[in-house]
Amino acid sequence: MTGGMLGFVIVGIIAFISAFFVVKSEDPVRSAIGLVVNFLAIAVAYFMLGAEFLGITQVMVYAGAIMVLFLFVVMILKLGSRDKVVDRAPLQRTAAIMLGIALLAMVMSAVIGADGAVASSVEVGPDFGKPQTIGKVLFTAYVWPFLLASILLLVGVVGSILLAKRKG
Amino acid sequence: MILPIATIVQQVPLGAFLGLGLTLFIMGGVGVLIRRNPVVVFMCIELMLNSVNLILLSFARYLPSGGAGESPMNSAVSGQMMVIFVMAIAAAEVAVGLGIIMAIFRSRNEVDIDDMSLLKS
Amino acid sequence: MEAANYQAIYWVILLPLLGALFQTLVGKAMVQRSPGLGKLVSGGVAVGTVLAGFGIGLFHHLRLINDPGSVKAATITYFDWINLAQLHIPVELRFDALSSTMVLVITGIGGLIHIYATRYMAEDKDFTRFFAYLNLFVAMMLILVLGNNLALLFVGWEGVGVCSYLLIGFWHKDLANSRAANKAFITNRIGDVGLALGMFWLVALIGGNREVLGLTDARWLSYDVLIPAASQLLSQFPHETFWISLLLFVGAMGKSAQFPLYVWLPDAMAGPTPVSALIHAATMVTSGVVLLNRVSEIIALSPAAMSIIAGVGAITALLGAIMAWGQTDIKKVLAYSTVSQLGYMFIACGVGVFYAGMFHVVTHAFFKALLFLGSGSVIYAMAHNQDMRNYGGLGKKLKITYVIMGIGYLALAGLPFAFSGFWSKEAILGPAVNDTATLPLVGGLTVGAVAGWVGFLVAFMTAFYMTRMMCLTFGGKTERWREIEPAHHDDHGHDHGHAHGHAHDDDHGHEMDPAFFMTEEEAHAAAGHDDHHHHDLDKTHEPKEVPWLMWAPLIPMAIASFGLIGVWMYGDVWKAPHPHPFEGFLHSAEVVTAKNGKVEGGSALAPRNLEDHGDDHGKEEKKEKGVDTNTLVLVSALTFAGGVGLGLALYGRRLPASEGFDLSKWNPIQKAAGKQLYLDSALSGGSSKGVMGLASAFKVFDKGVIDGLLVEGPPKVVRAVGGLLTTLQSGFVRGYAALMQIGIIALVAYFAYVVSQRGGQ
Repeated sequence: MTGGMLGFVIVGIIAFISAFFVVKSEDPVRSAIGLVVNFLAIAVAYFMLGAEFLGITQVMVYAGAIMVLFLFVVMILKLGSRDKVVDRAPLQRTAAIMLGIALLAMVMSAVIGADGAVASSVEVGPDFGKPQTIGKVLFTAYVWPFLLASILLLVGVVGSILLAKRKG
Repeated sequence: MILPIATIVQQVPLGAFLGLGLTLFIMGGVGVLIRRNPVVVFMCIELMLNSVNLILLSFARYLPSGGAGESPMNSAVSGQMMVIFVMAIAAAEVAVGLGIIMAIFRSRNEVDIDDMSLLKS
Repeated sequence: MEAANYQAIYWVILLPLLGALFQTLVGKAMVQRSPGLGKLVSGGVAVGTVLAGFGIGLFHHLRLINDPGSVKAATITYFDWINLAQLHIPVELRFDALSSTMVLVITGIGGLIHIYATRYMAEDKDFTRFFAYLNLFVAMMLILVLGNNLALLFVGWEGVGVCSYLLIGFWHKDLANSRAANKAFITNRIGDVGLALGMFWLVALIGGNREVLGLTDARWLSYDVLIPAASQLLSQFPHETFWISLLLFVGAMGKSAQFPLYVWLPDAMAGPTPVSALIHAATMVTSGVVLLNRVSEIIALSPAAMSIIAGVGAITALLGAIMAWGQTDIKKVLAYSTVSQLGYMFIACGVGVFYAGMFHVVTHAFFKALLFLGSGSVIYAMAHNQDMRNYGGLGKKLKITYVIMGIGYLALAGLPFAFSGFWSKEAILGPAVNDTATLPLVGGLTVGAVAGWVGFLVAFMTAFYMTRMMCLTFGGKTERWREIEPAHHDDHGHDHGHAHGHAHDDDHGHEMDPAFFMTEEEAHAAAGHDDHHHHDLDKTHEPKEVPWLMWAPLIPMAIASFGLIGVWMYGDVWKAPHPHPFEGFLHSAEVVTAKNGKVEGGSALAPRNLEDHGDDHGKEEKKEKGVDTNTLVLVSALTFAGGVGLGLALYGRRLPASEGFDLSKWNPIQKAAGKQLYLDSALSGGSSKGVMGLASAFKVFDKGVIDGLLVEGPPKVVRAVGGLLTTLQSGFVRGYAALMQIGIIALVAYFAYVVSQRGGQ
């Protein structure tokens, strides 16, 4: 096993386990911590793919901002308690897992069936993933989608304030 | 960063990244289906979005096409653009979604997805 | 032909239309303000618009006659109506001999009848409504005859139908009138279905073969394109030609009251007498003949259809004459006489002498309108009593009316040479008895020839029943209304139009099928007692000559009924019987020559005039020598003399006891004739039973299939599916998510399948 592959496997295992925690843990706080770890693992994967800017953004936006948001909500709403109430749809769990396995089998067979050696035969330029590249493209060719996304974020902010505000 | 980036990419096939992304995606999906705590459901959705981002970036890295450099037609660039927009939308979604959860909590004093059944005919 | 010379012809249509508008918008208010002046003005406008139309028509007619062009027909296009890529129907008028003749007849006779009606209807409170309808009718009739395409013809066709309906039911408070109007309208619909189907078929056939014909003009529904194309194309489609001709004829049957669709016309006499004269004698009922003339070149291609037309015409003529004999109502006699004369016109069309049919239309329009108006005068003088059994000896009291009606009578009965009726009848029967083109029937005679001989029989009967009518009304010395006791006014309105104290059982009983929309009791209950007649006929009544406004308009018609004009105009008949001058007028010179040239070519269009057989094509005349003109005139004279003689002998002095109010004394044949040989009740009874059966079958279909399956079915299905789907709508959010997941799996599976099918490309 080459060094690169070894690194990937480690990252993958960490990501998998943390994701499993997110899904499985009955304590929302534990789920949140699992999610942080998962985000960080994915950020490492981004670095491995050469997308430095996106990796850093991942760490800052997701692992930082969004996770803090989640934890705040968990704390404010006192949702720390376990799922005490009896599950009214006991079949749902089994069915969901079965569906998940079915879907996984399907897509994985497609991935494995494809040529496993799709290594980067085509080499990207040395500026792949550099902030300069991203910035230039984002503010030129993608300026309209960028503006739209900004407006969307603004609406999201206003909307969440409106929703969270106490009536009266 | 022990190894140069180019080396890592040459040593790991595309399928590995795709497999990781898909696995995470489906785990997130299953989580959405089985969890009853809406905050955790949101977390699972974030998990799914991230896995998609990973897949998009893998394709951008492994299968660049449509010319070189900064052309928007180049999937090496457009893949990263898409990741950025997904992040923006996910952030907005989380903000609004958590706001909704707080509003619901305030009116009902408890939050369980199964109790939110106003859509029932 | 410079179409621009005839541009102004549209005023002929527009003026009566504006007149109708004036009556409804202004006239009514004026009459309400001041009845005397208002009626004077609105009557004047009504008459004026039609007479102005006559003036315009005459001007253009003279211009047409003197037109140096060889084809005497102008097509004047005004504006687009329907404009599609493949079909262009403009609003365009065709001014040729046929339409200009009809314009003169409609506006001329129409104008005179309008004058008459201003007096006849003077006391009616719906004076302006009457003239609005009448003016509208004139406009619609003009659209019918002037329109240059079948679509415009259909507009006019339905327009006159509606006006006829409105005018028959003019006194709609009397339920019998409303029923008569309904009957006329519904019977006409049967014909109209035939006409519409025939038109559609023709359009489909021509339209489908436009490439074959090389038609580049999208205006192919217009006569000037349609008729040549159709006659070129249809010779290859004998089967279609037959059915198209027959369907068009069915349309003509309805409008022109041919057997078996004649039943509405006698009932249509419920309308005011001027209406009977204008619509149900002179103009509308002849529109079938006009239609057949317009499409004559199509119909002439099918000998079978021609035979049917001639046969139906003969049956109609005969039945009408028989039934006229049994009538006691003076207007009904004339109504059946009209049916009978219309039969003549169709015999003419059937044997291919379409021009003779038109000729008879024109002459008949004059003398029959004259007779109707005269009978209206008699009815007016006799306190609106229409029963001839109450008349008698009126010749001394109503001298002017007597003389004028006498002229009309002689014209209709066909006094040789002197009167127009003789000439037009001859023009029909001469070619008919020598007909060879229709299908053979008996003894070497064709259907057309048999129809011709039946026509002579009918001529005899016409002379007979018209003599009966004249004798019963004007002749004799007994003033039979003197026997009527004065009426008690408590049952006034219950049976107006009947002599009080006399039989009430003979008229309305068979006139209307009781099943026609209402029971008899309902009818009586519903009949308004708001009566328009002022007093009833009784022994105190003294008939007076009618006002001059009611006899003066008849004088031009009487003059026109004289055949002396015909002798002057058509005197050439004796020297060179063909082309018949009217034919020469109606068709352009080339057409006549071309047609006559191929007389033995089997074209039914060729007039089978007498000399043809003898001179030009003698060697081909193996079967029979045509009946020659002199013999025919002799036969005509004999039928006239015989009919009049028999009529005078039977009715000259008095009303025979066997035709009095006591129906039991009537001889059974005449009684049956009076009751339409029970055909009407059989037809309407049978058809209403059939229709009822059909209707209940449709009801089952409607309830079961339409309502049950098509209307209520989809909602039921939707509700059931919806009910099924609501079980999915559990409000269970994670369940929704799971469904979504299933959908995703299905999609992925589908894409995987598609990719694997493509073989990994």
